[in-house]
Amino acid sequence: MGFLRFLGFTVVRAGQGFWRNKMMSLAATATVILMLVLLSGLVIVLGGLNSGLAYIESKVGVTARLVDGLAPEAVDQLVAEVRALPGVASVEYVSPEEAMRRLEQAYADRGQTLETGGSDISLYASIEVALTDPAAATSVSAALGERPEIERITTIQEQYDKLLGVTNVVRLAGLSAMILVGLTVVFMIVNTIRIAVFSRSREIEIMRLVGASDAFIRWPFIMEGMLCGLLGAVFTVLLVALVWGPIQPLLIEIFQMPTAVGTQFFTFVAVLILSVGLVVGMLGSWISVRAHLAAGV
Amino acid sequence: MTDGRSVTRARPAGASLIGDEPLIRLVDVTVTYPNGKEALINVDLEIRRGDFIFLVGPSGAGKSTLIRLLIREQVATTGRVYLAGRDLARVSRSQVHRLRRRIGVVFQDFRLLPNKTVRENVAFALEVTGAPLDEIRRRVPRLLALVGLEDQAQQLPAQLSGGEQQRAAIARALVHDPAILIADEPTGNLDPVTGWEIVQLLLEINALGTTLVVATHNQEIVTALRRRVVALEQGRMVRDEVGAAYRRG
Repeated sequence: MGFLRFLGFTVVRAGQGFWRNKMMSLAATATVILMLVLLSGLVIVLGGLNSGLAYIESKVGVTARLVDGLAPEAVDQLVAEVRALPGVASVEYVSPEEAMRRLEQAYADRGQTLETGGSDISLYASIEVALTDPAAATSVSAALGERPEIERITTIQEQYDKLLGVTNVVRLAGLSAMILVGLTVVFMIVNTIRIAVFSRSREIEIMRLVGASDAFIRWPFIMEGMLCGLLGAVFTVLLVALVWGPIQPLLIEIFQMPTAVGTQFFTFVAVLILSVGLVVGMLGSWISVRAHLAAGV
Repeated sequence: MTDGRSVTRARPAGASLIGDEPLIRLVDVTVTYPNGKEALINVDLEIRRGDFIFLVGPSGAGKSTLIRLLIREQVATTGRVYLAGRDLARVSRSQVHRLRRRIGVVFQDFRLLPNKTVRENVAFALEVTGAPLDEIRRRVPRLLALVGLEDQAQQLPAQLSGGEQQRAAIARALVHDPAILIADEPTGNLDPVTGWEIVQLLLEINALGTTLVVATHNQEIVTALRRRVVALEQGRMVRDEVGAAYRRG
């Protein structure tokens, strides 16, 4: 009961404080929204890039085009020897017929039909090597390059490295921007609560004189900062929910790969936004209360 | 101290206090501010339960410092201050609020919250200490009746006379049923008639068992009531006399 009374008192006082000091409180809430929108954008873009990376990673392997007219026994021997290489998970032989079937399927998937214009085309035979570890791509490629049965080697390691580089740059730039905006937000909340403390100095003095505990004096202010953070976070979550659908195709278009992020990821982003909003609000007000509400001796 | 003055001597620290333990005891207390100014110098004082004491002296004599010591807004530089046998210097910061519930304080400028009614001002002192709602509903009207403000309960401080505001402040100071009520110049902002009414109220509260320490410059009241008078001058206690008049020097 005692705790509930304390909680009730704290929440009511925090709400009153927020309302009395509304211009500053709303300004602080607006900076929280700015920070959280930036954070959401960063998390969504990074989420998209990461899912792109995961997709490429699953595809990282080595494809080797075989010379024409290779005997089936030679193919079998090649497959057996490549399978024995370190870092190789599996090796699949793709005959020219199979390659054509896949090509036709790819067209069919897009609702199109492969038109060859009447000419009889033939695709080359290849082996597709899946790796246990993407890092093995280089050594496997080198080993395959020495074999006379192989005409050309292709890997998508290069694409993977490029995307990894982009992801790292986005991550670094985004985090730097986040830290700067985060500091601004904390500063805004510190000031908002400082003003709240000064405007209620008479009340605080009376509270001390009549024997209010430090918790009763301090927590309404901390809660007021958390309220700024929470309101900013709720607003941002609603905003993100609103744009969630439209940004999915946009992400695919920008990154040219399946980077759409799922509903589960939205839950993660929403929880992250709410937590960060609350923590930043609490941190700012706690710093302010510590600095401007020194207890008596 | 000279003959003809009834001086209450402090017992040595650590002496047995069971039975007739003083409510407040100052033992050789000195308070020195960081700028080197000595606000109190070697003060010994005992206040017993039920006492009514006038604390007199010119401005800067150390009255406010003494009050700050009693409500533990300050600690003595040297010496000891005890409340009901408890050394105030040893009260941890987290426990100061419990101590303050045993001490009521009123000031010359009333210090009421202007945006709260009389009832809310008194209730506020209970709310901020986590008192249950039914206790607030029970105690506040009783306190307002004690100070004679039942009819003004819903008025804001600005709608009240100075005397009524001081009564509201006294009601608020009594919310926790304190052992001692400290009044710092309670009649300082009031006309003589209203000042007497406030003193009458303080006497009634004292008669109900609350110890009173009244810091004042009001010579007429001190002389007329002939209560115990503790006089400070330049930080030293120069007089501690029962049944005394206000006297300079």
